[in-house]
Amino acid sequence: MEVTSAMADEVDYLKTQLGEKEKEIAALKTKLAAFEKNSTSVPQLLDRVTPLTPLKAKAALSNEDIMRYSRQLLLPELGVQGQLNLFKTSVLIVGCGGLGCPLAQYLAAAGIGRLGLLDYDEVELSNLHRQVLHGEENQGQTKARSAANAVRRLNSTVECVPYHLQLSPENALQLIQQYPVHSNNVPTRYLVNDACVLSGKPLVSASALRMEGQLTLYNYDGGPCYRCLYPVPPPPETVTNCSDGGVLGVVPGIMGCLQALEVLKIASGHGSSCGQQLVTFDAQSARFRSIRLRPKQLGCVVCGEEPCVTQLIDYEAFCGSAATDKCRRLNLLSKEQRITVQDYKSIVDNAEPHLLLDVRPLVEVDICNLPSSLNIPLSSLEEKKSEHMQLLQERIGQLKQQIDGVCWPPVYVICKMGNDSQKAVRILGKMSGTEVDNIKVKDICGGLMAWAQWIDPKFPQY
Amino acid sequence: MCDIPSCLTNVCVLYFAKSAELSGVREELLQVDTPINSQDLWTRLLGLRVLQGHVVLAVRHQYVAIDDQEALTLRDGDEVAVVPPLSGG
Repeated sequence: MEVTSAMADEVDYLKTQLGEKEKEIAALKTKLAAFEKNSTSVPQLLDRVTPLTPLKAKAALSNEDIMRYSRQLLLPELGVQGQLNLFKTSVLIVGCGGLGCPLAQYLAAAGIGRLGLLDYDEVELSNLHRQVLHGEENQGQTKARSAANAVRRLNSTVECVPYHLQLSPENALQLIQQYPVHSNNVPTRYLVNDACVLSGKPLVSASALRMEGQLTLYNYDGGPCYRCLYPVPPPPETVTNCSDGGVLGVVPGIMGCLQALEVLKIASGHGSSCGQQLVTFDAQSARFRSIRLRPKQLGCVVCGEEPCVTQLIDYEAFCGSAATDKCRRLNLLSKEQRITVQDYKSIVDNAEPHLLLDVRPLVEVDICNLPSSLNIPLSSLEEKKSEHMQLLQERIGQLKQQIDGVCWPPVYVICKMGNDSQKAVRILGKMSGTEVDNIKVKDICGGLMAWAQWIDPKFPQY
Repeated sequence: MCDIPSCLTNVCVLYFAKSAELSGVREELLQVDTPINSQDLWTRLLGLRVLQGHVVLAVRHQYVAIDDQEALTLRDGDEVAVVPPLSGG
């Protein structure tokens, strides 16, 4: 009896164990299936433009579509037909940054058919305050891939085509011809504009900087193209970008959302009301303004009656600057007028008497600075602000006493990247011996960011 | 408002983007002749010469071509906006 009972216990135990293992296997199988399904639907990152199959129009909404889009289907302005129109629309987003992220997010959420996501950059920590599709874990990943993954999590029915490439005159037309509606950000505006005009597509363009935003719809319904309004590219030195000027993240967020709104209105068949308008947003006063623009210009070189731009040109040459968001590097000085950060480090280590002049704006000096530096912003030097000129002369005087007049007092000029400091060296060179005592003035190449990279890794980068 | 051929009027000039940086103000009251052609109005706005060709000038929310010879009739309190394109994203 005892033996039998012990055996029965053993059988029960084994049965339970087996049941548990079977459950575990089933769970693993489900997990594997889900993983395999997901990994096949991860869109392939493209490094060149390939032909896409045309989107198939859906005849009717599925029950899942109805549930998912119910709140927008209730709008008479959209309705079932508008939703079906969205399903068959492809949109190319040029730049998955501060504007492109909210734009992609809302277009995907609303059920756009296909999203081309183009960006040549990788995700950096300094992007995250405004480029809200990317997360901390995406740092170092390509922005196109990271944005595509985020979009897929939001709405797996949207077809994403991530492009890790730089838009160029060679690939722009082929790319843009595949997408009926576009939206873009700087600095490839002329390129995207011309490609849109040449392929007859509207361009929903937005931009944001500091506390301001702008939205314009180009090449739409008799309205102007970018060149009708801005025939001449601005001189490169007058262009400020986000990494120089800064931007509050929510400002491109608002502008990207406005872009999404206009794209949805066009894609659903409702039509945009922004044609021939320039909408400006002043974030400080929370005011929008609409400026009624002139119509398309008959004499426009690309969209006019007798265009002379009939194919894409070299836009970097046309604009006189490299077409990327990265900072430009000026080269204004001779070799003798510049020193490296390593040279400056040894000057500090040897305690050589000198004056370090930091010419960044005060707001940047507050972020970080080298302890012994004197701050006079470049703008003050340009305007020769009297209080700053006095301060400079005082410090030069002190330095002169310290070195006992053996030679001209050395002044080293620094800024963030080494562009403004070169301009300052030129100005100070002219002031030397006239507005201030004679000085020997030199630029520190690469500025504080080079200092952080090569000399002091603890120095903050921004 | 102006019955005589030319008189003075106060307009409010709004500076956006780079033009605010160049002029040093976001907004100013300016006394100008009226009627005035857009080229003369533009030259009254100091320090903006570098922007010509890539700026939108608007009077009462309407685009005005800077090289236009047509006379603009301005009234007290009219809004003149200087809007260069923004370069960030």
